[in-house]
Amino acid sequence: MKERGEAEDFVTPGEVLGKTSELKPGNGAYVSPQDNTVYASLAGIRSLTPPPPESADLRPTVEVKGHKAHGPVPEPGAIVLARVTKVMAKMASADIVCVGPKSVREKFTGIIRQQDVRATEIDKVEMHSSFRPGDIVKALVLSLGDARAYYLSTAKNELGVVSAESAAAGETMVPISWTEMQCPSTGQIEQRKVAKVGA
Amino acid sequence: MEAKPSVAPSSFIDQQVFPGDLVLDLSKMTNQTIKLGGGLCQDGDVISVMKAGKLRFSKPNKYWVESSHKRYVPSVGDNVLGIVVEARADNFFVDIKGPALAFLPVLAFEGGTRRNIPKFETGTLLYVRVVKANTGMNPELSCTDAMGKAAEYGPLKDGFMFESSTGLSRTLLSSPTCPVLETLGKKIAFEIAVGLNGRVWVNATSPSIIVLVANTIMQTESLSPAQQKIRVENLLQKLQ
Repeated sequence: MKERGEAEDFVTPGEVLGKTSELKPGNGAYVSPQDNTVYASLAGIRSLTPPPPESADLRPTVEVKGHKAHGPVPEPGAIVLARVTKVMAKMASADIVCVGPKSVREKFTGIIRQQDVRATEIDKVEMHSSFRPGDIVKALVLSLGDARAYYLSTAKNELGVVSAESAAAGETMVPISWTEMQCPSTGQIEQRKVAKVGA
Repeated sequence: MEAKPSVAPSSFIDQQVFPGDLVLDLSKMTNQTIKLGGGLCQDGDVISVMKAGKLRFSKPNKYWVESSHKRYVPSVGDNVLGIVVEARADNFFVDIKGPALAFLPVLAFEGGTRRNIPKFETGTLLYVRVVKANTGMNPELSCTDAMGKAAEYGPLKDGFMFESSTGLSRTLLSSPTCPVLETLGKKIAFEIAVGLNGRVWVNATSPSIIVLVANTIMQTESLSPAQQKIRVENLLQKLQ
């Protein structure tokens, strides 16, 4: 077990870490508004990080680092890569594979709703012309969603299908426009919501 | 794969073809646009068969393979007979003998609003039209035609439903009227609804007539048109 930061105390969930007047809560800590106290929410080692020099807030940040290293977890605002598993009339399900550059350690499911596929004409979106099962898509996490899945969005130019296989030949298709991809061997064009990659 | 020497398209039309047969050689047919229907695939310069069946050709340039199966593959525009499996808030789940259950939106009826949603019990037989049929997704149905009118779609009451192959369904729906139905119709009054998914519904005034019509249709599937007429007339004589 590595020790991080300066303090080496082992804290348990619910333990008082300090007052909000003295400390800012970081990962693994939270504030209870009723009594302005910072409590730990994880079991692990407490560490204090000094405040950044330019900030007006002079309080150090207290963090609790769990003893198990967890894989990355999707957070609202993160860009994720996901593989589409099911396409339905009003939404598509996808398994989140990577959060940013790191691959996840456990299974996370995301849903792309019809209104989150693109930014324009959202009620005329055909899910079948945007995604197919097996496509790899780059999406933005909108929210934690419900108990079953995160809510994802591809409503930006750089979001959407990054890689897809053609239905007939099974070869990786080449993007032609933001709505079409072409199979290199048969020449068949298929419709997808394609992500704009590169400059 | 070697191309057969001198592949002449006329030699394969209306013949039984099997997957792997090379039926057209595009290098011999220059400056033509050919439309390929189901069961055919382009492999470089030759057209090869993907499904076993009869190769058909329609002028000026359409080729396709017709086959008969007990399974139904949903395709847009087909009129099928479905059985209600479950009723949910937005859709009815309907079994149409395909790989997945189909959805029938609760509002897909003529003059359908949230206030007059039809109440179909599990097991209700419906005559419906396939609106959307994408691979991997559940098909979507409708009880209206493209204009929004009811047009015969909806529940089928009384009568008797039996299953058939998709080829027999297409024969029963062909025009001019297939010999079985024509011969039967001259002597007996009955009502029939044919689903392209291999389901046929028959209704008549008495059960013995329904049984006769159903048996006749099932027995004459593999007979030629002339034989069909003879067989139907024999069966009708037994009735009288």
